[in-house]
Amino acid sequence: MYEAGQEELQNLVRKLPRRLEPYREMLLANLVMIAEIPAPTFEEARRVEFLKQRFTECGLQNVSTDQAGNALAVLPGTHGDSAILVNAHIDTPFSANVNHTLTVATTQVTGPGVADNSLGMAALATLPTLLEGIGLQLRSDLILMGATRSLGSGNLGGLRFFLTNNRQPVRAGLCVEGVQLGRLNYTSRASINCQITCRISGIGVTDDTARAGAIVVLNRVINHISELVPDDDPDLELVFGAIEGGTAFKTPARRAQLRFQIRCETTPRLTKLAEQIDTLTDDISARTGAAVDFEVTARSDSGGITANHPLTKASRMVITALDIEPRMGCCSSAASSFADSGIPAITVGITRGANLNQTDECVLIEPIFKGMAQVIGIIKAIDGGCCD
Amino acid sequence: MIDIDGWLRTNTFHHSQFCDLPRLVEEKNRQGLVISLCIPTLNEELTIGKEIVLFKSELMDRYPLLDEIAVIDSGSTDRTLEVAASFGADTYLAADILPEMGSKCGKGENLWKAIYQLKGDIIIYVDADIKNIHPRFAYGLLAPLIYRPEIKYVKAFYDRPLVTSKDVRASGGGRVTEILVRPLFSLFFPELSALVQPLSGEYAVRRDVLEQLSFPIGYGVETSHLIDVYTEWGLQAFGQTDLDQRVHRHHATRDLGKMAFGILHTFLNRLRSRGIVPDLPTLTPILHQFQAREENYEQVLFEIHEEERPPMLDIDAYRHMRGEMS
Repeated sequence: MYEAGQEELQNLVRKLPRRLEPYREMLLANLVMIAEIPAPTFEEARRVEFLKQRFTECGLQNVSTDQAGNALAVLPGTHGDSAILVNAHIDTPFSANVNHTLTVATTQVTGPGVADNSLGMAALATLPTLLEGIGLQLRSDLILMGATRSLGSGNLGGLRFFLTNNRQPVRAGLCVEGVQLGRLNYTSRASINCQITCRISGIGVTDDTARAGAIVVLNRVINHISELVPDDDPDLELVFGAIEGGTAFKTPARRAQLRFQIRCETTPRLTKLAEQIDTLTDDISARTGAAVDFEVTARSDSGGITANHPLTKASRMVITALDIEPRMGCCSSAASSFADSGIPAITVGITRGANLNQTDECVLIEPIFKGMAQVIGIIKAIDGGCCD
Repeated sequence: MIDIDGWLRTNTFHHSQFCDLPRLVEEKNRQGLVISLCIPTLNEELTIGKEIVLFKSELMDRYPLLDEIAVIDSGSTDRTLEVAASFGADTYLAADILPEMGSKCGKGENLWKAIYQLKGDIIIYVDADIKNIHPRFAYGLLAPLIYRPEIKYVKAFYDRPLVTSKDVRASGGGRVTEILVRPLFSLFFPELSALVQPLSGEYAVRRDVLEQLSFPIGYGVETSHLIDVYTEWGLQAFGQTDLDQRVHRHHATRDLGKMAFGILHTFLNRLRSRGIVPDLPTLTPILHQFQAREENYEQVLFEIHEEERPPMLDIDAYRHMRGEMS
């Protein structure tokens, strides 16, 4: 039945961008109002309230917050014996005292968190209105979720909580990110977020270490980690994301901290790497007298679905129908959480953007309509049975 | 004199009192009111897009509270009008409205010409430079006029604690008020000192009041409105709504000097015309400021004319148009 409907679905999807254009201001208004509410990880409550208010205004059912703080609502389907989960993470990497005001120009919107993931949330908030506007009635219930505690040490806490505790059968999951349009992530590498803190204090510190300071010790740690995770190993990916330490020009730093992520094709290899780094920091600690503490703040296993999974294929078909080149890959850590629950899931982007996680983060307006058409097309494909 | 404390209790609002927008729309429709939003602009391309998007989406499409959103521009050289039009605002050049009356340069000119151009029974004025724009800036000012027929003029004020981040400026607007305007009001119109931010650029006014007011075209327009409305209808005609916080451009002290000069001009002229201080000398339009160049100090002279537009009811074209409409 699904195979027979593919051409019909492609035709629907091709016409959608134009049909969605009248909702431009609504989507942009949602984007602005969401993005201007600060939502650092673990402090998402105000955004959750806003999203719930929008869900209520759309007439959705079961508008609620669960124990993890997720914002949830259900658009009932005609049959309602199963559900499709559409998920967008709420939190951003920006602290609350960063200026969150956005600028809206004719072609783009600029401001912190606009792409990651205020636009994903705006897509979620606007989706019920779009479905109503184009007259699309689903057989399945549509569960809309703004997920909390996703980034960094949040470790996908909101999504994991939902997947662990949800009792309703979910046919598939669709994770919505602001950028980049064309991404089609169906699997995830194993990853660990790590933090190494170096402190120079106490009587065990050698004279050399005291003179050099914490930054020099941390530099030694970085060099050793780089040797453990070579650039040319295709199975490994190392990102040094943030470093801080010290207080002045002329005073050796007494404290320095490094945050980094390692991604790996397999969980066992990553586990072994983490053990090696733990040993390494113990060794440097013993030799220098500095307190070098290694901590894994977030961890996700490898997992997901295959490139040949019906959901991946249907999504690729929808994206291609919109004249977008799909970029298949494994960048979404959410995929493994879904896989652990036995639910096929993919992650897509809504538009094109730049300067991700910078205060001048920006998204283009015009591609948003294709991005939303893609979301609706994939939902329609799932509803039509592509995953069954 | 009325009880200022009593007025503060009954006529001072917080925008959150009016967040039930479906109820507000229902009451607006029951009264058959037409509501216009006017945004006066001059080179505001960075902020105008967001204002239009939010007001149009939230207060026209989602909750049909506004019947028109109009940008009235003083001749921007940037893309202000293009951006505003692209998101669905009606855009006008002030010079094209009532062209037989000529064109003067100043925000008050745009506000005055809006009375002719817009169709609303109530006009909401909102400045274009607000970085944290939100629908409350419109409905928070409009609601007291809808729910309280005796109120004619609602001013915004901003009372939320200031953001202290280095990236966000204080909401400002308080220096000229506290150093100049409130002391003047305390001396001559003590009841008006109850308005928390008399110079705020956001207010909503009934047409039958607006059309009776003369409009200084420059810095004095807000001050003159308050004096004229107060003199005619008393403090009970006013309401004020706390809109929490307003983030906007920060003005240098020298610029505030020009603003204070214009306001003082308007204020003193009102004192004279109302016979409160009848014997004032002719006021010079020249403001003296100073700057240093190496070891030398030199004068900088600014010519600031506070011309006034007459009440719109005095304009034949306006009376004819409104007569035809009625």
